[in-house]
Amino acid sequence: MVKVDGRRSQLLRGVLDLCLLAVIDEGPAYGYEMTKRLRARGMPIVGEGSIYPLLGRLERDGLVETRREASNGGPPRKYYSLSSDGKRSLETGVVEWQTARDSIDRALDLTKAGVTP
Amino acid sequence: MIEFVEECRREWKRLGVPDPIANEMAIDLTADIEEAEAEGGSAEDVLGNSVFDPRRFAASWASARGVTAPSNPVDPFTPIALGHNPWYRPAMVIALSLFGFLTALAAAALLLGRHGVAVAASIGPHVVLPVSNRFFGPPQMHSFRDIVSGSSITLQSVGGFVVLAFAMLLIGILFMGLAVLYRNTWPRDGSKRRLW
Repeated sequence: MVKVDGRRSQLLRGVLDLCLLAVIDEGPAYGYEMTKRLRARGMPIVGEGSIYPLLGRLERDGLVETRREASNGGPPRKYYSLSSDGKRSLETGVVEWQTARDSIDRALDLTKAGVTP
Repeated sequence: MIEFVEECRREWKRLGVPDPIANEMAIDLTADIEEAEAEGGSAEDVLGNSVFDPRRFAASWASARGVTAPSNPVDPFTPIALGHNPWYRPAMVIALSLFGFLTALAAAALLLGRHGVAVAASIGPHVVLPVSNRFFGPPQMHSFRDIVSGSSITLQSVGGFVVLAFAMLLIGILFMGLAVLYRNTWPRDGSKRRLW
């Protein structure tokens, strides 16, 4: 039996890249800003690992573009924005997620029906 | 939290990440952590559970960005051919630890043993049997006293005895330290699973 926390962690890990693309689509953001946007949407990363390696992979895959911009009093921050490939990937990912979610919803409804007396 | 970033820097250096890229990552990381702390949060808000394993985090980030050196000079202890054997590293750690522990144990036994016991450091020429006797002759029993009495070097003084014991103790500790050092140079990029 998979522990609930373990399942939740696996589910989040599977869609974290999609969620990152979605929050970057709101507007250019640096690393911690994305973390805050995710948290505001009810998705804390505590316990799920860091977003930095994932951002590195998105950058390497050409799904995000980066540029340095001055911040308030601090060092220049690295801002991420979606590339055209990133926008396409987000659109495709959203459709894939909806399809998967609908399938799982149906499966879970069937399971419930099976155990209901 | 500076220590976390410094640990990341060391890992990037070890992985051959170019300095400008390592500096850039370190600056971004520091700025994010400082912002989180200024807002009353902690590094864990930025790093999640990665905060507990900086080396793994650093290796994972560098690997994801594709900025590690092509041939990774991970481990100066490991010969190239043996480095691919998944049992080589654990076996080395066990061997080093075991040798160190047994040597230290023997040293402790010597130190705690009775004073005045003669210890043969080498065996005299009369112990070496002729080839025919060694392989084909009847078994010959030599008591420890027989061997010692004819030995060329016999440590009778307590001073020499203690020096020998301490030397063995130091060697034992040295080897156990090497085992720990070797274990700590293990790559933690997640690409190789540990065997324990």
